Amino acid sequence: MKVIELKSLSKIYNPDTIPVRAINDVSLSVEEGEFTAIVGPSGCGKTTLLNMIGGLDARSEGSVEVGGVSIQDMSESQLTTFRMQHIGFVFQAYNLIPVLTAKENIEFIMVLQNMDAKTMQERSDDLLDRMGIKDQRDRRPSELSGGQQQRVAVARALASRPKFVLADEPTANLDSGSTEALLDIMAKLNEEENITFIFSTHDQRVIDRAKRVITLEDGVIVSDEHR
Amino acid sequence: MILSLAWKNIWRSKRRSFVVMSAVAIGVWSIIFMVSFYNSMMGAISRNSLQHDYSHIQIHHEGYLSDPGLDFQVKNPSKLLEFPSQISDIKAASGRLIVNGMVASPKTNLGIQVYAIDPADEAAVTDLPSFLIAGDYFTNIKRNPILLSQKLAEKLKVKVRSKVVITVQDLEANIRAGAFRVSGIFHSKSPRINNGVVYLRDQDLSKLINSTDTSFNEFAFLLKDNESLIQTKKKMEMKTKNLVRTYREIAPEFDMIEEGSAISKQVITVIVMLALLFGIINTMLMAVLERTKEIGMLRAIGMFKRKIFLMIVLETFMISLVSAPVGLMAGFLTNVYFEKNGGMDLSQYAGALEQYGGDAIFYPEIAQSTYFFLMLVVIMTALMGAIYPAIKAVNLKPLEAIRKV
Ligand SMILES: Nc1ncnc2c1ncn2[C@@H]1O[C@H](COP(=O)(O)OP(=O)(O)OP(=O)(O)O)[C@@H](O)[C@H]1O
Ligand SMILES: [Mg+2]
Repeated sequence: MKVIELKSLSKIYNPDTIPVRAINDVSLSVEEGEFTAIVGPSGCGKTTLLNMIGGLDARSEGSVEVGGVSIQDMSESQLTTFRMQHIGFVFQAYNLIPVLTAKENIEFIMVLQNMDAKTMQERSDDLLDRMGIKDQRDRRPSELSGGQQQRVAVARALASRPKFVLADEPTANLDSGSTEALLDIMAKLNEEENITFIFSTHDQRVIDRAKRVITLEDGVIVSDEHR
Repeated sequence: MILSLAWKNIWRSKRRSFVVMSAVAIGVWSIIFMVSFYNSMMGAISRNSLQHDYSHIQIHHEGYLSDPGLDFQVKNPSKLLEFPSQISDIKAASGRLIVNGMVASPKTNLGIQVYAIDPADEAAVTDLPSFLIAGDYFTNIKRNPILLSQKLAEKLKVKVRSKVVITVQDLEANIRAGAFRVSGIFHSKSPRINNGVVYLRDQDLSKLINSTDTSFNEFAFLLKDNESLIQTKKKMEMKTKNLVRTYREIAPEFDMIEEGSAISKQVITVIVMLALLFGIINTMLMAVLERTKEIGMLRAIGMFKRKIFLMIVLETFMISLVSAPVGLMAGFLTNVYFEKNGGMDLSQYAGALEQYGGDAIFYPEIAQSTYFFLMLVVIMTALMGAIYPAIKAVNLKPLEAIRKV
């Protein structure tokens, strides 16, 4: 099943002044259960592409379909709902809520979804367990290592049962040990639960573990390799 | 969750929250202090001129207002003087024959109003004897005793037992002069009386103007309390054809004082609240800008704008909810302190206060409703202060979050 379908997608920054074609006529589809890395030199348009897929940035040309629904014509509040229900975000800088504990951070998105307390409780416990951070559940982000924080972030992304997880350079701030640990978890979730991951990266170790590697250069796909 | 998140957010920057909370608390406290002080001052001025000058109700002949003097005396004075025994809300009554005249000493002469009174009745109504600072109340001098205010005595350079000459016009417009001896020197709480009223016994004035059947042209009535003012006035009107007026009708300054002090209190409140408003806007704006990334992330993961808005408003609301009661409590305790410890002594500045008929010692006065009102005002101010920062927060782009550190 196709989760993402991009058709002739382009993004032009500053169309009125000095136009920058950050993404240029990209067509691409992602199937459920993929473990896909988007790679390429700095400035090639990885972040721009992920933002458009995640409904955080508007496309200039072409179309973005997620789960068979085009998102380009959605209103702002429709997009908010869409992001809340269908997309799990993992950010390079973790971006957890500093005043909440690990567990509360995971539950926060389920609160936004109005999930009932019991399901929420079970789900956050389960996720904490699978991420291997059960013992850190009551700690705040500032009391966690970068690797642990990023695992909380992945747990938060999964908590809402999204169609896929978007991660923009999730390991860029992590040391190699934490990177490996996080990749193990992500790969396992992908293998065992068929969760779709799309992430951008510079990191060769991450690229090595991806099942599909899409290489961008100057906003254009130059290679698309399934392994 | 949003509630608890908002609460936790307040404590992120403890110092900043503490500063704005203290500002709110101090602001509230200062309003209570100033309002209490003001009430006390204005209350004293009103009370003093009510109790020691105008009394609650006065009766005059209809014609007296346009032609004050001896011509319009009230007929059958004993009937009016019996009111205290007939109408239960009336405590005391005093008749006065008021006439303009001059008082002269070897040094100088001054224009004054002569109040010819029955000493006992006047004492019961205005408490005149309590203001004596020298001499006594008409008893030490056998023939023609007179009471002068300290102010007049100083101007005339006279002491107790000194002789002064009173000059008035009689009913036929003849000038009559008589020698009086100072029985007592008083210092009233009413500036009006201090500035130009002298007291004689009614029979002495009658003799001076050579009239056998004098009555009074003014009757002052002291009530047991202010509540029954209108009712009592109505009862009195049933019993007499003369003009019955309450102190509010006689002296519009009572209303002016009340209105003026209401306005002053509003101005104080508005000024303090404006200062707080800007403090709150500033603080919350800082809190929002500091969290740009986080708010962007919240938007990115699917938190609705209205919930972000609500979160910021709640934070502001909670700040005021925590700090306003502290200020109210502090204000309340300050008032209790002054009540318990004999008031705030401002005798140093008593001169200025007395000019306006105030008291030197302040007993803070504040209506209980003021506390509730203030709480409401603070909450409204906080909510107003929250709006702009909350709009700022809502308009942050979710994209911000996904950008690199
Ligand atoms: N808001 C913007 N306004 C104008 N140009 C932009 C904006 N954001 C990105 N760009 C430009 O678009 C191009 C693609 O940027 P993008 O951030 O997507 O690259 P990237 O592949 O994510 O780079 P990196 O690996 O450094 O994160 C770059 O040339 C960048 O300068
Ligand atoms: Mg990037």
